[in-house]
Amino acid sequence: MINAFLVFNGQGQPRLTKFYTQLDTSIQQRLISEIFTLVANRPKGSCNFLPLPPLLAASSTSTSSSSEPHNDVPSLVTYRNYATLYFIIISTSTESPLALIDLIQVYVESLDRLFENVCELDLIFNFETLHATLGEMIVGGVVIETNMDRIVQGVRAQGTVAKRPVNESRGAGMGLGSGLGAGLGMGGNFVWSGR
Amino acid sequence: MFEKSLYDLIRGLRNHKGNEKEYIQNCLKECRSEIKSQDMDVKATALLKIIYLEMNGHDMSWASFHVLEVMSSPKYHQKRVGYLGAVQSFKTDTEVLMLATNLLKKDLSASSPIVISLPVAALPHIITPSLALSVLADLLPRLSHSHSAIRKKTIVTLYRLALVYPETLRAAWPKIKERLMDKNEDPSVTAAIVNVVCELGWRRPQDFLPLAPRLFELLVDGGNNWMAIKLIKLFATLTPLEPRLVRKLLPPLTDLIRTTPAMSLLYECINGIIQGGILGDSEDEGREEIASLCVSKLRGMITFNGDANLKYVALLAFNRIVVTHPFLVAQQEDVIMECIDSEDITIRIKALDLVQGMVSSDNLVSIVSRLMRQLKTSTNLDNDQLDDLSTDSSEEMGAERRPRKRDEAPPLPEDYTIDVIGRILKMCSQNNYSSVVDFDWYIDVLTQLIRIAPASRKEIDSDGTAPREKSATADISESIGNELRNVAVKVKAVRVTAVRAAELIIAKLTMESTSHQVTSGSLKPVAWIAGEYAYQLSNPSDTLNHLLQLITRIRPPEVLATCLQASMKLFALIAGNDQTYWTAERKSMVSLLMARVIHTYEPLITHPSLEVQERAVEFTELLKLTAEAASAQAASTDELQQDPPLLLTQAIPSLFQGRELNSVAVGAQLNVPMPEGLDLDEPIHPNLGSLLGQADSLMLPVQEDDEFAAYYNEKAAPTSISSEPAINRLRDAPETTSPGSYQQATEDSYLDADIIARRKAEREERNRDDPFYIGGLGSPSRSQGTSTPIHNILQNENGPDLDIDSIPIMKLDLGAISSSGVGAGAPGSFQQQPKAPKSRPQIVVAADETLVSSRPSTPRTGSQHDSDADPSSTSAKSRAARKLKQSLLQVDSSHLRNLSLEASESDALPHEQLAETDAEMAKALKEVQRLRLEMQRANERIQVAQGVPTEGVVVQSKKKKKGKEEGKKKKKDKAEGGDGVDDEKEKKVKKKKKKPTEGAEGEGEGGPVGGGEGEAVVTVKKKKKEKEGEVKKKKKPKRVIQLDDDAGDGNGAEAGGEIGRP
Repeated sequence: MINAFLVFNGQGQPRLTKFYTQLDTSIQQRLISEIFTLVANRPKGSCNFLPLPPLLAASSTSTSSSSEPHNDVPSLVTYRNYATLYFIIISTSTESPLALIDLIQVYVESLDRLFENVCELDLIFNFETLHATLGEMIVGGVVIETNMDRIVQGVRAQGTVAKRPVNESRGAGMGLGSGLGAGLGMGGNFVWSGR
Repeated sequence: MFEKSLYDLIRGLRNHKGNEKEYIQNCLKECRSEIKSQDMDVKATALLKIIYLEMNGHDMSWASFHVLEVMSSPKYHQKRVGYLGAVQSFKTDTEVLMLATNLLKKDLSASSPIVISLPVAALPHIITPSLALSVLADLLPRLSHSHSAIRKKTIVTLYRLALVYPETLRAAWPKIKERLMDKNEDPSVTAAIVNVVCELGWRRPQDFLPLAPRLFELLVDGGNNWMAIKLIKLFATLTPLEPRLVRKLLPPLTDLIRTTPAMSLLYECINGIIQGGILGDSEDEGREEIASLCVSKLRGMITFNGDANLKYVALLAFNRIVVTHPFLVAQQEDVIMECIDSEDITIRIKALDLVQGMVSSDNLVSIVSRLMRQLKTSTNLDNDQLDDLSTDSSEEMGAERRPRKRDEAPPLPEDYTIDVIGRILKMCSQNNYSSVVDFDWYIDVLTQLIRIAPASRKEIDSDGTAPREKSATADISESIGNELRNVAVKVKAVRVTAVRAAELIIAKLTMESTSHQVTSGSLKPVAWIAGEYAYQLSNPSDTLNHLLQLITRIRPPEVLATCLQASMKLFALIAGNDQTYWTAERKSMVSLLMARVIHTYEPLITHPSLEVQERAVEFTELLKLTAEAASAQAASTDELQQDPPLLLTQAIPSLFQGRELNSVAVGAQLNVPMPEGLDLDEPIHPNLGSLLGQADSLMLPVQEDDEFAAYYNEKAAPTSISSEPAINRLRDAPETTSPGSYQQATEDSYLDADIIARRKAEREERNRDDPFYIGGLGSPSRSQGTSTPIHNILQNENGPDLDIDSIPIMKLDLGAISSSGVGAGAPGSFQQQPKAPKSRPQIVVAADETLVSSRPSTPRTGSQHDSDADPSSTSAKSRAARKLKQSLLQVDSSHLRNLSLEASESDALPHEQLAETDAEMAKALKEVQRLRLEMQRANERIQVAQGVPTEGVVVQSKKKKKGKEEGKKKKKDKAEGGDGVDDEKEKKVKKKKKKPTEGAEGEGEGGPVGGGEGEAVVTVKKKKKEKEGEVKKKKKPKRVIQLDDDAGDGNGAEAGGEIGRP
């Protein structure tokens, strides 16, 4: 199952945090910053999987030595980078690594449809919509929907999705002009994206 | 007053760069007052802002009551905020959760699907067993909600409920299964069910076997890759239980592998084949084919376009294969080795996992060299200057390495470095160094590692902040040191080299950190080596100097204690020479030395750690005495030869002299049989006082005839070798948990010391071009142990010109051991060096000293059973403890393991078992009904007896009635067909017919508990007996029998359910 879904930007500021198990706010923040350090130091062309952050690794070293795989333990950290944002999924070994990469893609594409050419600003000002979209895809750590139309439909059923504030010029302050849409082109590079 | 909206808050945040903290604090203050507002809109907005700030790390647990308030808002958009707040902030121990139950139940039964979604989606985050119990009844009907979105969310939520409250599944599973079987079900609901089943599947695969046909159908023509992936994962857990599945699965899987355009599906197919054990035995031709197909595909993934993700997952898959089919993976060694040098740490680690299992004496050197090179380049920043000083011998290496360095800029994270070092140690030491051929090389590697090892931050330890992380760093350098110590103890032939290495390390540590504290964990074992084998040091007095300098700068008490001991041993060696005369020169030298030592020790007399304090006190006092004796003893003159004081030459050295220490198998101590009649609670002597009084005259018996003593004496004649108190070794035991320590590595193998003899001269010669070589003592230009030219070493190792004859072979007389009657386990644990190539020096593997009391031939299992201290059992324990503690983010599903979806543990197929359960439940229900009925009847009878009319009005629950009625009807028919109208039987039947309608009275009293009812029935029966005549009593048994029939029929009746009410 999926243990956590995180979104943060290039400076490590969280944009969405969703933990499917209860965690103290302070530990959440520590975990986020640990993952951010890991993710920020990835050389170009490296894979979309992270080694376990120390907070998680401490608990899993015992499992790697034990012969019996413990499927409850979060053992996989998958990330994807779109423009200025990092999307992270922490999951157990029952999830398929490659499918998780696709799942992030579905999430981002759904957001893109909802916001029309989504960029970080949309996510900043509409974090409720982020939660709603995620809620249409994952409930309690289990994926319930991967069909984009249904996801978008589900979110829209909950009310209109707010548009980006008019007077907040795109890319103001943070230089996020490029938007996430640009990042979406990346999907083509993935050989397995044959959903 | 205008309240900020979330939008304002975020804008404000963005406009207050630099002093966000202050701004946030202000906002929080505002929110605190706003959230108390009566206006729900203001409240909800405030909550939304708080949630936003929570995401940025500002705790919102204080607001939980307000969250609840907003949750109960009738407006959807406010309610949604409330639920979001609950999801983000509620914990299972949040108190208001109790208050939320009713709200959740209410919202679960709301009419609007979007409202229902809210509690359904929120429940997984806040669920507790009691909450699960109370919402289950409201949640279950949502499984058949008309909106598929609600259905699929409900299914997942039920799964999460089941994790904390396993009974959920008992009620929910039949319905979920029904959904799964329904071919007209919305595909996304089916997919959600498959996801849930996949999560449940690995816990209790046997329960899901009966679903296999349906799942197979979904796999073949599901057309949904996401679902197919999950299905394959699920099948992988099912196949081990049902081998016949394999045959069925293979065609579609191979088909998918060959045709699917989706890489993720392809990978999962391969993975499923591996995990499901389908690779299986090689005898089956088809399987061999599939195995090679899989492996070639995986290999393709690693080499494919350099796509890192594929590389990663392929390595993951190899890691699984290697467990069962190591030979298949070994064929791919070349590509895997490439991955070790990948820039990507994730891939490196996975490759390392693999490589660790592939190590042999042939490739150890090359693997370790690769890793060393990595570590080296990553620490280049610190070592660059030293590199430039490196000797000519490494020039060749340097040339090879330099360009590399440019490419591989990113420094390795510290924990990775630690991990790699741990693995190197593990690889080398595994199977008791069976893979290490050249111990000189190994010692050099260790020396190098100590330098590379990340600086321990032990001094921060005292703050107690995140001790776990820090101890890892301290541990690793200590593990390296321990390795060096192990080699020094176990491999006599290279002891000199090891001791010299220790000497150098001490020297380097002294020079490195002149002002600050010494933190390297390696100091402890290294100091021990220097002390224990002081006679082999090249320059003992220098080393003593260094140690004395270091002692003042050591913090950790255990290290300090070891250093104290070591320095004293050194002193004993230096000053204790009884061969030379007590010249004036020597006298002054020794006096000065003693003064220095005392000076160093004295501050430690008040050290808070007892271990340190005691040693310091003892040694100081002893040295003071000796100093007196030394000054009293006149120096020899030309005329008069004076001997040095005996205290110096005899007493002090004898403190440290003893038999040589041998490595003892971990846990062996616990196998020492308890002597018969030993009672530790018994006083040592009934009259201890008088005994002590006689102590002067008491001679300690020398137990020459003791078999233990005989054993030890046989082996080693007492030499000048000093021995450390055994307690020091014992104190090492807890550290065995440190990763990569020697004990850890050998805990499974339980093997013995390798004793490899090597000619020293050969080493000297080879060292000339060995980049790991460390030059003579004190040479400032010691090589930094640059990377090793693999070919060079291999050539040296395997070269045909190796002079085997000249290698002295240490042979351990095993006969002596076993005949001594002590090392009963020794022959069992004796192991030959696995497949030592001809050209290699013969290695004699000596047995560790161990005792195995009960199972002489299997020391490993013996000790595991016998001793708690055995590392494997302790580690198992700690593992268990850790599991108890649970990792972050982990969802514990272990409760589920104990829940069987069936009532009985029989071997019958789960499906049947389910049916059985149903039947049993039905039976139980019938029984309850029967009892109730009887009660009612009794009641009625009482009423009849009292002249109350038999007709009743109360309506009973439909289901029960139906069953009963049908039965009754049948009986009635029977009765009618039978005999006359006045027959008693018929009367009875009539009565029965009426009873159900009246029954409610009795039922209301009876309550739902079967046991209680039973009693009630009995009492009622008794009453009845009293009140009614003999005739009725007679009839009673008959009735019961009939009722039993009732119960049997009831089942059918429920299903048929056609009979109307009377």
